[in-house]
Amino acid sequence: MNPFHFDGLVWHWPIAIYLFLAGMSAGAIFFAILLRYFCLGQDAWKSNFVRAACLIAPLAIWAGLGILVIDLTKPFDFWKILVFYNPLSVMSLGVMVLMVFQVFMFAWLALLFARPLTRLTASRMPFIGKFLAWLKPHEASITGLTMILSLSLGAYTGFLLSALPGYPLLNNPVLPVLFLMSGLSSGAAGALLLGVLMKGRPDSKEVKFIHKIEIPLILIELLVIFTFFAGLVLSGGAKLEAAGNALGQGFWGWIFWGGIIGLGLSLPLAMNLFMTASAQRRFSYVAFTASMSLLGVLLLRNFILYTGQMTML
Amino acid sequence: MDKSKRFFLKGAGALLAGMSAYQATRASEHSSPASQRKYALLHDENRCIGCDACTQACREVNQVPEGVSRLEIVRTGPHGEYPNQTYHFERQSCQHCENAPCVNVCPTGAAYKDPQTGIIKVDEWKCVGCLYCIAACPYKVRFIHPVTRAADKCDFCEQTRLSKGELPACVTSCPTQALVFGDLLDTQSGVYQLVRTQPVSRDKESLGTSPKLFKIRAAKGEVIL
Repeated sequence: MNPFHFDGLVWHWPIAIYLFLAGMSAGAIFFAILLRYFCLGQDAWKSNFVRAACLIAPLAIWAGLGILVIDLTKPFDFWKILVFYNPLSVMSLGVMVLMVFQVFMFAWLALLFARPLTRLTASRMPFIGKFLAWLKPHEASITGLTMILSLSLGAYTGFLLSALPGYPLLNNPVLPVLFLMSGLSSGAAGALLLGVLMKGRPDSKEVKFIHKIEIPLILIELLVIFTFFAGLVLSGGAKLEAAGNALGQGFWGWIFWGGIIGLGLSLPLAMNLFMTASAQRRFSYVAFTASMSLLGVLLLRNFILYTGQMTML
Repeated sequence: MDKSKRFFLKGAGALLAGMSAYQATRASEHSSPASQRKYALLHDENRCIGCDACTQACREVNQVPEGVSRLEIVRTGPHGEYPNQTYHFERQSCQHCENAPCVNVCPTGAAYKDPQTGIIKVDEWKCVGCLYCIAACPYKVRFIHPVTRAADKCDFCEQTRLSKGELPACVTSCPTQALVFGDLLDTQSGVYQLVRTQPVSRDKESLGTSPKLFKIRAAKGEVIL
């Protein structure tokens, strides 16, 4: 069987890339919030890692939405998704979450960069400073809602696929948790990679802070992947068959064991533990670990999307 | 900080209350209008000879382009030993589920159930072609129409024949009367009588979709272990 063309295949790799980018956007803003309130404080906006996360969050979500629109059979009719809503549809709910997420994300970003923005626009556009001053008292609400919305967005990418009743592998209650966890870790990895590329110090406290969260995150991801497939195997029938088709021999089996479990999770976990134990973090270590994490998440999205559609009820 | 926390909690609480109230009112709205007809189709596999007259008629009447199809007859076999060999013919087309996954997942409401007839229909204009319904359908009968670029499938010839008071093209063209079409709410209809008295079954009932394509399975089978 050709791993990219088979009967029953409806959604192709552009959807996997969209799921990857949406998860990364959610994860990036999630870690930016953590860095701001639990690591750096008021001056967080000066950190290259926070700036990297703040660049990734909007750019990833726009790129993802762009891919999604181009992938429609009627790309110019995409606005109908924004006008007509179906509260029963996971996709429709996701579009709502995406729209509200963007509003709160930009409000939060504006507050994060309030001081430099106010200074820059003081003479030419004083209303921006006024607007930011008006926004400031609501910072706690905006932060809380941005956090909740980013988690919702990360989980939504999983719910989108788990709402399909005909595919036993996808129709799995663990999938949203798995995609949320891997989305968060891709946001962290993206912020680290772009952060060091933007000349952030690889030995800074931001990197140590993110790595400290990444280690338990990877362990939870491994646990969730195990639960995901153990659940399929124990359910028997078509679910057992689907797990066998996905994890067994063939292209996607290699991708899973070598690419996702090996390169994407075990290697970053080992590197993170090593960097935590050793004194110095180097650019090459941080960049390589983050790249492997990103590769693992991208492969996981493709693996789940394709193998999920391989077995039908 | 404490004040803003309280404000946030209040706001979030109000939002949740509002959303649940909205959902509750919607739920009661949904249940009220009773449909006047519930069209259903029965395929008697013992009568079917696999001649494909129905698939040809469907293609012609509904102008379904080559490469896609609203209706297919899937042949399996031969079953049994020579000279007692038989083939099975199974109809593959929209099941017009009472609880249709395609309708649930459609983000724009382009896939919908006509409350008047119980037929699952597609609003070509509203459809943006996200393929979600095609992925969601457990019966794999939906496709993208190459001309309209919208999702398409069997609609019991609602546009082309039912509106003129005629039976669906497949039913009329069947030379062995293997297909029976009618209204399940009309206790005098043939389909109602057959569903009540014959050992009918439906595909993938365990999914809770309540399909309205009933089947009388072929009597001669084969045990495959």
